Amino acid sequence: MFLWAWKSLFSQRSTLLGSSLGIAGAFILVLFFDAVFRGESEQIVAYPEHMNPDVWVMQAGVGNMHMASSYIWDWKMDVIAAMPEVERVTPILYFANIVEARGSKLFAFVVGLPSGEHRAGPWEMSAGRRITGKGEAVIPAVLSRITGIGIGDTMRITDHDFRVVGLSRGTYSSANPVIFVTLDDLADILSAEGTYSYLLVDAKEGVSPKQLAEGIRRTVEKVNVLTTEELVANDFGLAMQMGVEIIFMMTMICSALAALIVGFSAYSLVARKQRELAIVKALGGRRGALVGSVVLQAVIVALLGYLLAVVFALLVIPQVPLLVPQLSLVVSIGDILQMGVVALLVAVIGAVIPASLVLRLDPALAYQV
Amino acid sequence: MNEPVLRASHLTRIYGSGRTAVRAVDDVSLTIPPGELVIVMGPSGSGKTTLLSMLGGLLRPTSGEVVINGTVITELDEDRLPVVRALEIGFIFQAFNLLDALTVEENILFPARLREGGVAAARPRAKELMSRLGLAHRRCALPRTLSGGEKQRVAIARALINEPKLILADEPTGNLDSRTGQEVLMILHDIARDEGRAVVLVTHDPRVEDMADRILWLEDGHLRDRNEVHHWARDPVCGMKVDEWTATLISEHEGQRYFFCSPRCKARFDAAPGEWTGG
Repeated sequence: MFLWAWKSLFSQRSTLLGSSLGIAGAFILVLFFDAVFRGESEQIVAYPEHMNPDVWVMQAGVGNMHMASSYIWDWKMDVIAAMPEVERVTPILYFANIVEARGSKLFAFVVGLPSGEHRAGPWEMSAGRRITGKGEAVIPAVLSRITGIGIGDTMRITDHDFRVVGLSRGTYSSANPVIFVTLDDLADILSAEGTYSYLLVDAKEGVSPKQLAEGIRRTVEKVNVLTTEELVANDFGLAMQMGVEIIFMMTMICSALAALIVGFSAYSLVARKQRELAIVKALGGRRGALVGSVVLQAVIVALLGYLLAVVFALLVIPQVPLLVPQLSLVVSIGDILQMGVVALLVAVIGAVIPASLVLRLDPALAYQV
Repeated sequence: MNEPVLRASHLTRIYGSGRTAVRAVDDVSLTIPPGELVIVMGPSGSGKTTLLSMLGGLLRPTSGEVVINGTVITELDEDRLPVVRALEIGFIFQAFNLLDALTVEENILFPARLREGGVAAARPRAKELMSRLGLAHRRCALPRTLSGGEKQRVAIARALINEPKLILADEPTGNLDSRTGQEVLMILHDIARDEGRAVVLVTHDPRVEDMADRILWLEDGHLRDRNEVHHWARDPVCGMKVDEWTATLISEHEGQRYFFCSPRCKARFDAAPGEWTGG
């Protein structure tokens, strides 16, 4: 019976290919959105990941960087710097706001660095130089390409103008491009003299991040201390949380679309092969086996669509950022495997109506000429 | 006397209900012993296919029962009927009804899944049938590459694969030329005579009459034994004997019905009826 189902399906190659491509289209949409979301989420934590100090010190009650505000007094930095376990402390100011460039308004994360400090600055430059003084900014190279602002051009953050002196690499995502200015400029914008947002603390050799964090917690009051791993996990979790509903909806919509295509394909296969199915019934085909053959055909169609989508996801999606640099895309094997389970579910759901049609099929149809 | 292979008692099938109800088959009883070839004839719409469907367990009768090899198949549910269809009955259809995607051998073996030992045990039988029916060289061919006669021979081999005691054939020569049709009829004849199977053949083909043990006439849902009464008429043009029950070429003249052996005779009659009736 299954041999017949298999051969019967593959004898209608154009139908099989058309259906599989339709399903692949729906699955590609899901995988593409997953890749966009995952890429953006990973880009959101690019800054803390690249800075990678042993611990981050922030205002008590604050547990992440993305979309957060944190203020700690500057004297707390001096206390921490004086601790025997501490090798180095780098303060930054940080805020998220709209920046204006050549008439475009963009949401950006602005990081204020001590003048001449490279520890907390851009980790890779693609053009120009790092900031050295007041009124200077380093922006992501992708942002420069999108907005057309180049080195020497002016951009505005709140009511302050900045001259672009350098372009950084790996600092762009559509949710949070990172712009670097001096600490003094940002303190001026925020009226936050005497405070910092975060302290990047490096431990002396032989001191683990956990020990360092414990030491700071004991020494300084009203601060939260996290290792880089913890901070990144918090930010990544927050990003996932923010997008998970959208992705879930997209997955549901595209899966429903795929189920419709599978259902329509299986239904048209059954409708077209109604007479053959009646013959099979007349020749002793059991109802369970007939339903099984319809489900098998639906599963084959869905899995072919899934495989096409996976090939596309692995070969084509990673190439997209070369053409559209503002997109950060990451194809996850976990998402691909998850989609495989969805494909199987879609196949079973899509086969329900065709299977019920088969169950009701009159075997006496075999006598019709 | 041999135990009958098929026994149908008071079979009735009514389509629709109330004033629109149609009795397609009305109180038909029939017994067929092993080795008998029975032909069921009748005009179009007389209920032949409905009767055959009920005998084969493809259609449930409104009332009555069908017994095949001692099993009352009209009492079986949908889960147990497939085994009877596959093992006790061989179906042969006018349109051959081969499965397009399967080869000749796979088609022949298709009903063997339910028999003891399954397809593997049936392979020698399939080989023997292919050889006997002249299909050995077409073993791997797909149905679309076969001639009409070959297709019907594959269908016959498929019907015989599980060695059923009963063969139900619906117009098996309907889509074949006369020579190939004759070959197929001879095969069915041999199946009944040599192998002792009961064969029920629905057909319009008058050539079959000579090889049948019994000819049954179904009209308006009622079955009659045609050998009981002869309704012979004479073609007024050529003088040939024509069976009134099966004749399809009929003209009326001055309240009298005339039966013809061929369209040519009918045309000549219709052009000048008086010339042939002496009127």
